Amino acid sequence: MTTVSAPAAPARRDRKHPRLHRFLHQGGLELACVLLGGLALWSFLSHVVIPRPDRYLPSPGSVVFSSADMLWKGLLPDFVTNTVWRLLIGSGLGLGVGIPFGILLGLNRTVSDMFYPILNFFQSISGIALLPIVMIWWGTSEQTVIFVILYTVLFPISFNVLVGVRSIPRIYINALRTLGASRLQIARDVILPGALPSIATGARLGIGFGWRAVIAGEMLAGQRGLGWMIFTAQQVDLTAQVILGMTLIGIMWIVLDRYLLRPLEADTIQRWGLVQR
Amino acid sequence: MSAAATTFMAGRMGLDRKRMRGIGLGAIPFLVLLGAWELNTFMGWLKPVYIPPLRAVVDAVFTLQEGCSALGILGMHESCLFTNHILSSLGRVGLGLVVGVPLGIGLGVLAGMSRRLSNAMEPVGVFANAISGIAWVPLAIVWFGVGWFTTLFILLNTVFWLVFFNTLLGVRSVPRTYEHSVLTLGGNRWHIISQVYIPGALPSIVTGVRMGIGFGWRALIAAEMIGGNTGLGFMIFVSANEYKVEEVFLGVLLIGIIWMVTDRIILVPLEKWTIERWGLVWRPS
Amino acid sequence: MREKLIVEGLSHHYPDEYTGMDIHALDNVNLKVTEGEFAAVVGPSGCGKTTLLNILAGLLPHKVGSVRVDGHEVKGPGPDRGVVFQEHAILPWRTVERNIGHGLEIQGLPAPERKRRVQEFVDLVGLTGFENRYPHELSGGMKQRVALARTLCANPVVMLMDEPFAAVDAQTRITLQEELNRIAIATRKTILFITHNVDEAAFLGDRCFIFTRRPGKLKATVKINLPRESRVWKNAVADPAFTGARDEILSLVREEVRDDDG
Repeated sequence: MTTVSAPAAPARRDRKHPRLHRFLHQGGLELACVLLGGLALWSFLSHVVIPRPDRYLPSPGSVVFSSADMLWKGLLPDFVTNTVWRLLIGSGLGLGVGIPFGILLGLNRTVSDMFYPILNFFQSISGIALLPIVMIWWGTSEQTVIFVILYTVLFPISFNVLVGVRSIPRIYINALRTLGASRLQIARDVILPGALPSIATGARLGIGFGWRAVIAGEMLAGQRGLGWMIFTAQQVDLTAQVILGMTLIGIMWIVLDRYLLRPLEADTIQRWGLVQR
Repeated sequence: MSAAATTFMAGRMGLDRKRMRGIGLGAIPFLVLLGAWELNTFMGWLKPVYIPPLRAVVDAVFTLQEGCSALGILGMHESCLFTNHILSSLGRVGLGLVVGVPLGIGLGVLAGMSRRLSNAMEPVGVFANAISGIAWVPLAIVWFGVGWFTTLFILLNTVFWLVFFNTLLGVRSVPRTYEHSVLTLGGNRWHIISQVYIPGALPSIVTGVRMGIGFGWRALIAAEMIGGNTGLGFMIFVSANEYKVEEVFLGVLLIGIIWMVTDRIILVPLEKWTIERWGLVWRPS
Repeated sequence: MREKLIVEGLSHHYPDEYTGMDIHALDNVNLKVTEGEFAAVVGPSGCGKTTLLNILAGLLPHKVGSVRVDGHEVKGPGPDRGVVFQEHAILPWRTVERNIGHGLEIQGLPAPERKRRVQEFVDLVGLTGFENRYPHELSGGMKQRVALARTLCANPVVMLMDEPFAAVDAQTRITLQEELNRIAIATRKTILFITHNVDEAAFLGDRCFIFTRRPGKLKATVKINLPRESRVWKNAVADPAFTGARDEILSLVREEVRDDDG
C-alpha cells in the first residue's frame, strides 16, 4: 500500500524552465500584454487617429529618435546630471541640517512637544508653493532651486527624527545611565542608533518630495535640467522631447526609490530597529 | 459620586491638562516667529519687498476682496479675487475627488481581483505614480492649453493613480479565505466585491485617498503656477511677478493651512478610524 | 440511512505555484458519508486533505472522478456545503451577529426572521452577550465558535471542517471539541472533519478515514464504537472503545509518517 519513496517526491518535472514558469505565472505574461498593448495603442493613436501627431502625440518611434538625437548632441546626459546634482546638493544640505536639528529637538520632551506643531506646519507648506517667495528673494537662480529642495527635504526629516528620538524607550537610556555613561556616550550608543530607522524613513520621504521639487523648480526658475527640458520643449512644440523627459523622470525616480532608498530604509530598520513601531 | 466616576473625571481632567499644555507649548514657536516677523518690520532689517509687514499680509485680503459682497463670494463675482482663487482651487479638488476616487477604486478593485492581472498592473502603477504630478504639466498644456482643464487633469492624474494603486494592493492583500468563506455561504461575485474586497481594502483605500489629496494638492498648486489661469497657485505666481510680496505670503500661508486642516481634521482621523475599528493589521507598505 | 456525500474515483493533479512541477495530490479516492454521520479524515501533513476539502467545497475544480452532495454533482461553491476553515475566516469588518447571519443575508432572508435565527445559533455556541463585538475583540476560540455558528446558521446539507481547532491552544481545543460534539448531536448535521490530530479524530468521529501520504488515497476506515452522546474527554481516555480505536488509527497514520522520515 505504501508505495512512496521519500525524497523523490511524486512530482515530476514537466516544465524545463521553472524560473520562466514562475515569471509567467506571477503576471509576467499579463505585464508583457499590458506593455505591448499600451505601445500598440499609442502607435495606433499617433499614426491613425490624432490629426497632428508630432504636436499632440508623437509616436513611440519619434520619441526614441528624439532621445537618440539628444544623446548625439550630448544634451540629455547634461540635463540628467544637472538634475541629479541639484537633488544631491539640496538633499545633502537638507539632511545635514535636518538630522542634527531633529535629534536636538527630540532629546528633551518639553522641547519636542514645543516644536512638533510648527515642524508639522512647515512640512505642510510644500517647497513648490514657496517658490514664488524665493524667486522674489533670489530671482531665477541656482540658489532658488537648491533652497526649495533644501526646504522640502528639511522638514520631513527633522519631523521624523524628532518623533524617532522621542520614541526611544526610556529604559535604554536609563540602563546606560546606571552604567555611568556620559551624555555624549548615551547620544552615541542609544540615541543615534535608535533614531536611525526614522532617519532612514524621513530621508526617503524627504528625498521623494525633493525630487518633485527639483522638477518643478527647474520648470519655474529656469535652471537647465530635466524639468527645464520638458518645459522648454513644450514651448517650442517638441512634444517628443516632452514625453522623453517624462519617461526619464519616471524611470529615474523608480531606480532611486526602489533600488536605493527603499532597500536602504528596509536594511536600516532591520539592522537598527530597536524601537518598536 | 462613585469612586470610579471620580477616577474617570480625574483622568479626563488630566488628559485635558496634558492637551492644554501641548497646545500652549506648541504655540510658543509660532508666537516667537510672529514676534520676529513684526520685529523685522519694526527694525527694518529685511526690506518689505523681501519680507512684507504682517499687517500688509492681512490687508492684502481686503485689497483683493475690494468691492466684494457676501453674495458675490458665493457667485464668484469678479471683484472677489481672493475667494475666487480659493474656490477655484478647492472646486478642482472637489471635482478631482468626485471623479478620481470612484474611478480609482473601481478599476483598482477590478485589477486587484485577479492576482495575475494585479501583478502585471503593479509595475504600471509604480511607473504612473513616479511621473504623476507636475511632470505631466507640459504635456497637459499641449493637449488642453493653459487653463482650467490642464490643472484639473494634473490633479486627477495624481489622485487616480494613487487611489488605483493603493486599492489594488489593498484588494490583493485581503486573505483568500475571506473570499472562500463568502463563496461557500452561497455568495456570488457581487457579494465578494461589496462584502469582502471593498471593506477589506478600505484602510488601504483611505490611505490612498489621503496620499492622493496630499500629493494632488501640491501638484495642483504647481500646475496652477505653470499652466493655470485661476487658483491659489496662479495667484501667488502672478503676485510674485508683480512683486506683490504680501499677496504671495498670504497665498502660501493659506495653501499650508488648507492642507493642514484637511489632513489633520478629516483625513488622519478617517484613516485611524478605519484601521482601529476593525483591528486590521495587514496593510500594504 | 441516506448517503449525503459520495466521492467516487477522485484524483487530482496541480502544478506547483513556484516551480511549475506537477503535484499528484489525490489518487482514486472513494468515500461515502451518510446522513447525520460525523466522518473524520486523518492523514499526515501534505497528504492532500486540504485539497480534498477544497474540491468538496467546490473551491477547486476536479477533472477526474465525481463528487455528489445530496445526489447533485459538485460544480462550484454553494450553500449546500458549509465550510469551517482552518484560519480565522470570519470577516473582521462584521460584528459577531452579522458574521453569523451572513449566509442568511446572502440568501435574502428578511431581517426580523434572520435576527431570530441568528440569536438561536449565538446561544447554541455560547456567545450570548457578544453579538455586537468585532472579531478582533474575541479570543481565538471564540472566533472559531463564530465561524462554526456562521456555517450552521446557513443550514448546509453537509458541513466541511478543515482543521478548525489547529490554531487554538490545547485547553481551548479540548473545550471546543466537546462543544462541537454537543452541537453536532443537537443539530444532527452531516459532517466531514479534516484533521491531523489522531485523538481529535477518534474523539469526534463515528468513522475515521485514514489517508496515505501524497498522493493521498484512502488507506483504511476505522469505526469508533462509542455512542457520541456519551463522549467527554474525562471518560473517553479511560474507555477501551475510544483508546482501542485511537491506537489503531495512530498506528495506521504512523506507518505513513515513518515513510516520510525514511
